[in-house]
Amino acid sequence: MIIIEIILRLALWLVLAPLLPGIINKVKAWVAGRRGPPVLQLYYDLAKLWQKGVVLSTLASPGFIAGPAVAWIAVLAAAQLLPLGPAGAALSFRGDVLLLVYLLALARFCTVWAAMETGSAFEGMGSAREVSYAVLSEAALITAVLALSVHTGSVTLVTMLAPAAGAGAVLLGAGLFTVLLAENCRVPFDDPNTHLELTMIHEAMILDHSGPPLAVILHGASMKLLLFALLLTEAVLPLGDLPALQAAGALAGGVLAVTMGVGLVESLLARFAFRRVPMLLTMAFLLCLFALLMAWKGGAA
Amino acid sequence: MMTGPLLLFAAVVTTAAIVVGPKFRGAWLALTLLGAAAASGAALSVLTGAADWEWRGAFPISGQLPHLLLDGLSALFLLLVAVIGAAGAVYAGEYWSDKEHPQSSPRGRAWWSALVLSFGTVLLCANGLHFLIAWEVFTVCAFFLITLENAEREVRAAGWLYLAASHVGMVFLFAFFALLADKTGSWELGPMRDQAGLAPLFWFALLGFGVKAGVFPLHVWLPSAHANAPSHVSAIMSGVAIKMGVYGLLRFTSWLPVPPIAGPVLIGLGAVSAVLGIAFAFAQNDIKRLLAYCSVENIGIIFIGLGGALVASSEGNASWGALVLTGALLHVWNHGLFKALLFFGAGSVLHSTGTREMSKLGGLWKTMPWTAALFALGAAAISGLPMLNGFVSEWLVYLGLFDAVNTRSASAWAALPAVLALAVAGALALASFVKLCSMVFLGAPRTQAAQHAHDCGPSMRGVMLALATACVAIGLAPVLFWPLVRRAAASWNPAWATATSAPLPAPLSTLGPVQAALGLAAVGAAVWLWRYAKRNGFKRALTWDCGYAEPTARMQYTGGSFGGIVSGWFFWLLRPERKWHRPHGVFPTEASQIERIPETVLEQVIGPVAAAVMRVSTATRRLQHGRLQSYILYLVAGIAALAVLVVLSGGAQ
Repeated sequence: MIIIEIILRLALWLVLAPLLPGIINKVKAWVAGRRGPPVLQLYYDLAKLWQKGVVLSTLASPGFIAGPAVAWIAVLAAAQLLPLGPAGAALSFRGDVLLLVYLLALARFCTVWAAMETGSAFEGMGSAREVSYAVLSEAALITAVLALSVHTGSVTLVTMLAPAAGAGAVLLGAGLFTVLLAENCRVPFDDPNTHLELTMIHEAMILDHSGPPLAVILHGASMKLLLFALLLTEAVLPLGDLPALQAAGALAGGVLAVTMGVGLVESLLARFAFRRVPMLLTMAFLLCLFALLMAWKGGAA
Repeated sequence: MMTGPLLLFAAVVTTAAIVVGPKFRGAWLALTLLGAAAASGAALSVLTGAADWEWRGAFPISGQLPHLLLDGLSALFLLLVAVIGAAGAVYAGEYWSDKEHPQSSPRGRAWWSALVLSFGTVLLCANGLHFLIAWEVFTVCAFFLITLENAEREVRAAGWLYLAASHVGMVFLFAFFALLADKTGSWELGPMRDQAGLAPLFWFALLGFGVKAGVFPLHVWLPSAHANAPSHVSAIMSGVAIKMGVYGLLRFTSWLPVPPIAGPVLIGLGAVSAVLGIAFAFAQNDIKRLLAYCSVENIGIIFIGLGGALVASSEGNASWGALVLTGALLHVWNHGLFKALLFFGAGSVLHSTGTREMSKLGGLWKTMPWTAALFALGAAAISGLPMLNGFVSEWLVYLGLFDAVNTRSASAWAALPAVLALAVAGALALASFVKLCSMVFLGAPRTQAAQHAHDCGPSMRGVMLALATACVAIGLAPVLFWPLVRRAAASWNPAWATATSAPLPAPLSTLGPVQAALGLAAVGAAVWLWRYAKRNGFKRALTWDCGYAEPTARMQYTGGSFGGIVSGWFFWLLRPERKWHRPHGVFPTEASQIERIPETVLEQVIGPVAAAVMRVSTATRRLQHGRLQSYILYLVAGIAALAVLVVLSGGAQ
């Protein structure tokens, strides 16, 4: 029974995740008055990449391929710690939230490692940006987590995410949404559409990847997006107080809303200059910090 | 029962190692390993449940009866001394061989054993005077090890700086022990928490032990000493010697009362040390200097844990205190293991290429696959990534701090900034180690030396492999190591003996299997993806990078540019010195940019103060010129002044 449940969960994450980038692109196309690529475009891309061979840089070590694989496992494992609304999490224990944050750090370590394998300046540039901005976004994420922890008096994700974030929900939502945009390399931090490497973070890091490793990277990125969308929705909505079916519906609706929000931001905003990125991330951190202080002052534990 | 004989045996064997060390390499190694094994046996017997071992001698040494004590706390550190002492001894045989260093290698062996012996003595002494003597011996032994390569000017300078800084700390320790002896009436040490009058002495201990621990801003000696010492010495300095400072603080915060503000101060110092230490590390270009600054960060994490434990015990032994304390104690161990591993790896690179500068290395994974793989493992461990030991200890500290914030009491205000500092320091550590690994091991070799590197031999490799295995073991099965740490925590604060007597904090028993499963999945996925991609077909080609035709090693990103963004944020602290030689004209011939990160605290704070002291001293020295007539004049003037003083004070009565 447990095995079936775990397989179902894994399948859910693996199958649903690539839907999100498709929805974002559809929203962007809709705002721009285009037809845009099909919602399932990423699935086609992944299937095609999976069949292809690999061009390896002469400089690359086995870490070039191991990196994306480990990063993918790390994101998938982090996803298993996140509760799926009424269905709960595959694995839940005290302090799992910190494991989740550090699994994302592990994924970052592996992606950057693989990027640096090629000895190219573009990849170096992307990696340097990735690890530097991550300092601020990780601080914001930990603050957000701490706010949830203070609000609920718990260090377990299932308990922390059950009620709404209280008075600070709006602040926390805004902060987490900004972190989502930064961590998933969306506008205004990064532009997943252009291939002008000088201005990129994530795309610049994976320039030299091809074939199945690239497919793994793209799939991992979509899972990370889903993970952040779920985290944001569950942090803001009081899913624990709703009946199971409604909670599931609210969760799905919330994730859809967040995804469309990303698409709208991408349609309406231009990418920021890099020197403004730290300010935006600092703002996200401050939003989370205020949410933390509100959680502290509001309702006794 | 066996503890006493084992310790005696270890001491005798290590003393013998000092004597035979310079002449007989093989015998020295055997004796060192034997001593380490005996000491580990003694430490383990105490840690796994035997009663504390205590011994009082009947014959006074320098006027005091010897009093030795091995309890859980000192046993935990003694085990670390034994492990790193043995590992470094094996490593040095190949790294600092008699063939390459005929002068300093034999000398180094004797000093090594002397250092290990003095570490052990410091840990065992429960008499203030003997503790001080052992501490001074350890400081001096370390000085001679740091300056093994004393033909180099930089090495001598680093050694002197270390010696000077250590003795500034020593002055505070003299004051600490002397005042303690004065107030208690004896040099005997032991639990005396009930004598509230002793609390202010904490500040002397903090300064004295803080210098040795290398906490920011008392770390000024640390980067150059760690960078310029031979790598096996750097490993024991960073892995064990700075931990002696931590031990001192743990020991005396456990035995003596502390002022109420001590806990928050330690947390604050730790937070500052963690963030600024790693910010300095990220900006370095020298491999070993980066590792040294990273030690400042890790000491910061340990201080946060210790400070948290003090706060918790002052608040009626809140249960979160046990969590942060065990986290800090485990981190002492973890840092000892992976920092020694990293210094051994750095030594292997230095040994093979002759340079410590990242900008002259690159692509070493091809020629040094073992070193690259083991160094990468150490880097992942020190960045606190899951599956490895660094994560376990940081996780315990985080968990305790989260619980502290959740109490919403006064202690929450101390814990909150600590959590933020840990988050920032964690992300920066990851950035620093990605930079270090990628500049040294990945990409294309930047110089000839890097191109013709060779991997290290079996004994260096074996030692690194053993340390890496230990890192993985603690990560995958923290359950096995928990009892040892718990025993040490219980001897720090007996009130927590019950709080920690539950066999395991429930999540730790879950975390172990989760990490193991993750490890399996990660290795499986990597191997499988490699095989699958290979079946689809590998094609080797130049790095594409949007159409490079002829990439060269010099087109790669450099360490300086990698750290540029963060260095910009810490500009106010790092104060990089830049020298530009810009290209001119239509056909520019040459251009250059030189950037140096100074030791801000040393060069811009301590330096000017020291210069002022020197100026005053030089001015005063004019009084001493060797002319007898003037000296007689000084005497007469002095006596006259005294006479005036006597007359005046007599008049006042």
